[in-house]
Amino acid sequence: MDRNQIHTQLLALLTGVAPDIDPDSVDPVRNLRDQFDFDSMDALHFAVAVSETFGIEIAETDAAALANLQSAEHFVEQRLLSKEHT
Amino acid sequence: MDVEFLLPSLGADMEGATLTHWLKQPGDRVRRGEPLATVETTKGLIDIESYDDGQVLQLLVQPGTQVPVGHPLARLDVEAGSHTAAAPAPPVAPPVTGPQTLAASERVTPTPTEARATHTRMSPAARRRAHELGLPLSALEQAGGGGIIHVAEVEKLAAHAPAGSSDARVAMRATIGATMARSKREIPHYYLAHDVDFSPAREWVTRYNAAHTVKERLLEGVLIVKAVALAATRIEGFSGTFHEGRFHPAGAVHLGTAIALRGGGLVAPALLDAHQKDVPTLMREFSALVERVRAGHLRSGEFTAATLTLTSLGADGVDVLYPIINPPQVAIVGAGAIREHPWVEDRQLTVRAVLTLTLAADHRVTDGRSGARFLRTVADLLADPQSL
Repeated sequence: MDRNQIHTQLLALLTGVAPDIDPDSVDPVRNLRDQFDFDSMDALHFAVAVSETFGIEIAETDAAALANLQSAEHFVEQRLLSKEHT
Repeated sequence: MDVEFLLPSLGADMEGATLTHWLKQPGDRVRRGEPLATVETTKGLIDIESYDDGQVLQLLVQPGTQVPVGHPLARLDVEAGSHTAAAPAPPVAPPVTGPQTLAASERVTPTPTEARATHTRMSPAARRRAHELGLPLSALEQAGGGGIIHVAEVEKLAAHAPAGSSDARVAMRATIGATMARSKREIPHYYLAHDVDFSPAREWVTRYNAAHTVKERLLEGVLIVKAVALAATRIEGFSGTFHEGRFHPAGAVHLGTAIALRGGGLVAPALLDAHQKDVPTLMREFSALVERVRAGHLRSGEFTAATLTLTSLGADGVDVLYPIINPPQVAIVGAGAIREHPWVEDRQLTVRAVLTLTLAADHRVTDGRSGARFLRTVADLLADPQSL
């Protein structure tokens, strides 16, 4: 899966968690909490969706990696790569 | 027994609602607690539930019709012994009759096609945008095709539709304003605050989460939910409603949880029997509740049932908040942000995770002394998270 596919998937997951945000308006480097008033439950729902969709386990300490779309892309890409190598 | 199914009041100052969909048809069986219809209020789309077991005889109101609280929506044939006579909601503002009231002659029996309209779900932002743009619901139903409608679909449709003027955001603001004004006018509030050492609870949650998958993970706030609910079963006068000039204690704690809506406004649906449920169960139910709020689709029981409310401004919030009681309830607990803070224990200065809890309560029902016992009970429970 390339970075573009990851980006598209993550956007879909984001709007699944928060149906009231416009996918075209997402600023990839801005914190989701500031950008969309994500609360802790929204952030957890997003983590669950990412974990299930990509088949990767996400520790509580990885939460910071999902703070914005770009870092989430990077995180998922790295996890998928390390999965391939194991 | 032939009974009328009436539009319940879903809030202290709700005057009416627009029926958007029937979820049952004449001839369908319905169970107590099962949704019969979806209505649109200033708080969003809400599924209203049957109070009885029985069978639907006739639908009296067509989708798209605005009706006042207390207006008959359908006729049901109710099984003997099942009928509960009244809505579970406490009596609130009397039904208001106005220009929107339907005359009996205007009642209709929907044709099967009308009644089987697709069950459209819209995000709060999409609904707001649709109102701003004056888009008719029928157009959105077609666009939705049974799925959730987002802002993007509304915008696309708007390009082909004339502009309108109604504004749902203003309506919700007005609803909150009216409820809070009534609360401040009628309820003699008293306020208490107490700092709680949240470190044991935080450590407990961290250990629990490290041993569970992301899907089973807990939020710290759920421990506060459980502690507040348990404390309300131990200290009298905080879980219940005030009407007809006196306090009616609730046998259970249905904890309203204030959930902010993106773009403004909030709702406070209830976690039913929160005092009886274990923490992982409460977490699952709270999670599902937030999902339904985000999708703009709550159930009527969740709106009318709350006997006490908990409000929190979340991780990015401020240290202390001073909440206003949501009538006809008699108390509300506020939870500030959990923060690293200096703490003195055994004459030693340390740093702890500290939570400031506040209580706003009704002086017609309790005094500061019971309020203090209530907050201290919450603190004691949080100090021993195993007890939750």
